[in-house]
Amino acid sequence: MNDRRAIGRALDAHLHLLDRQVLDRDDVPVTTVDDLELVGIELGAAIDRDAAPPRVTAILTGSDLATRIFGGRPPPSRRVRIPWELVAEIGTAIRLGVAGDTLDATWAERWVSDHIIGRIPGGRHDPE
Amino acid sequence: MKRLFSVALGILTAIGGFVDIGDLVTNAVVGSRFGLGLAWVVLVGVVGICVFAQMSGRVAAVSGRATFEIIRERLGPRAGLANLGASFLINLLTLTAEIGGVALALQLATSVDPLLWMPVAAFGVWIAVWRARFRLLENVTGLLGLTLIVFAVALFMLAPDWNALAGQALQRGTPQDEPVATYWFFAVALFGAAMTPYEVFFFSSGAIEERWTEKDLATSRLNVLVGFPLGGLLSIAIAGCAAVVLLPASIDVTSLSQVVLPVADAGGKVALAFAIVGILAATFGAALETTLSSGYTLAQYFGWSWGKFRRPAKAARFHLSMIICLFVAVAILATGVDPIVVTEFSVVFSAVALPLTYLPILIIANDREYMGDRVNGRGMNAIGTVYLVIILIAAIAAIPLLIITGGGA
Amino acid sequence: MILSDLLGSDVVDAHGRRLGALVDVRLEVSGRPRQLLADTVVVGILVSPRSRFSTWGFERRDEHAPAIVARPQRWLHRGMFLVDWRDVAVVDEGRVTLRDGAEHLDPSLREAPRSH
Repeated sequence: MNDRRAIGRALDAHLHLLDRQVLDRDDVPVTTVDDLELVGIELGAAIDRDAAPPRVTAILTGSDLATRIFGGRPPPSRRVRIPWELVAEIGTAIRLGVAGDTLDATWAERWVSDHIIGRIPGGRHDPE
Repeated sequence: MKRLFSVALGILTAIGGFVDIGDLVTNAVVGSRFGLGLAWVVLVGVVGICVFAQMSGRVAAVSGRATFEIIRERLGPRAGLANLGASFLINLLTLTAEIGGVALALQLATSVDPLLWMPVAAFGVWIAVWRARFRLLENVTGLLGLTLIVFAVALFMLAPDWNALAGQALQRGTPQDEPVATYWFFAVALFGAAMTPYEVFFFSSGAIEERWTEKDLATSRLNVLVGFPLGGLLSIAIAGCAAVVLLPASIDVTSLSQVVLPVADAGGKVALAFAIVGILAATFGAALETTLSSGYTLAQYFGWSWGKFRRPAKAARFHLSMIICLFVAVAILATGVDPIVVTEFSVVFSAVALPLTYLPILIIANDREYMGDRVNGRGMNAIGTVYLVIILIAAIAAIPLLIITGGGA
Repeated sequence: MILSDLLGSDVVDAHGRRLGALVDVRLEVSGRPRQLLADTVVVGILVSPRSRFSTWGFERRDEHAPAIVARPQRWLHRGMFLVDWRDVAVVDEGRVTLRDGAEHLDPSLREAPRSH
């Protein structure tokens, strides 16, 4: 769904994005927005007034939830990113334009599905 | 008939809240000690749960977001986690009690030791959650649970002194031989049971399972207005039966067989059979409700895929967490703990879970970005605000009362 | 940089005087529409002079209900203002310094977009 009305729309990151549900192309839940990655801010460096503004580059999930609850800072390598360019629509949920099972963020879901739930009889059938 | 099925969600939700195994016994205990002196609490609770279940159903139908998603969204990860922890423990303790309750009901019917029935009960719940469609679950358990109306019928057949019952119901304050703290402990316990948070988790998630949209708001309202008052009525009828039969005989209710005693008194074996079927359906329904609610809350907090409308492999962590919950419940029961005592502890966790559940619902039900024109009206906000204050007071009072009275002993 | 590193930072003016806490970051969906959603950039920061307590947006939107929540929220976050990102001089850990003469703008969100 290409939401053209969204162009030029103002959003507040905490109010409108943080902790919202992320859905894939087919409305399957993927994760929640645990944090956002911003590119273009360098700690302690003077900001040039005419420089391009910082951009949102990814939705972060996984270890970022734990650090928001308990504090601390995980190594960036442990982060699970969903690139921002995959976002198709922002509403009461964040909708992606791709299928969820192609993403790193659904790795745990796929593992449980393949190794446990999918192996129990009836696990791959629709309910009756 | 179709009309009846369309309110099955509300009926099942309310049965889980008002007449699950813990409440069946609590209601009878209250009736045998206070008569109908606490019936007013049930009325207050019915109105409260109607107000907030209606809001949560409306939010789910209009925005497509279930209750724990909005709890996480408004409260953030920390307060959301506090609520998740408390709500999850309530769910797990209630689930444990229900599995035990199903086993006790089967014991009433078959005289086989409940310890043998417990794994069977847990397996039955799992099969239903694993394979049956959502509609089937709610229709079967909701309809069979209606046989609990036999308690109301029994109350009439006992031909009680209605003036005396009304006198109890309208009487101010506590009976002379009961301490004030005990009276208020049971008042808070009944209120907490009526407004127990898994009802809104289940109701709003059920609305998504049934794919309600803005067009279904009338159905949602009907579900709320039929289901919860019915649950409250059953709850009062059980207390009434106990008040008529057990209070004069000074029988202290400690087991399920004493709960059904008045029904057997009034209507003999046939009525007793109805009561047992009703209890079986109610406890089984409550077990389903709490099992699913455990999965719903976890999945919605973490953003996992969930729902019975998907095949299990497409909601893998949701199903795995429910399987683990059922194992834990059976493990707790295997220690020989009394399943009914287990639910009393959930009052403590309600103190955290109740305000943190109903506050975000009230906020989102007023948010135009979620609700468009379907935001709360002034009346709904006024009554929602009053209840938020009552909930807060009950939550603050719950733990001191539990300690002072030693669990109402 | 992640968003939660910014949230809760102290905001100080060019002379080091504390102005409040950074409670939110204003974004704008801009640029050319691509196959999916266009670029989203930071256009400003929201500063609340008196409270770090989480905000539910009442003070930025024309929402007053339910009063039991809206009133205290509006009171806690009274005086909230928006600062244009071009008026931000330095971002340090836990501290954001504004440029001299940074303007305090009206923080309200124009309209309430709704979609699902």
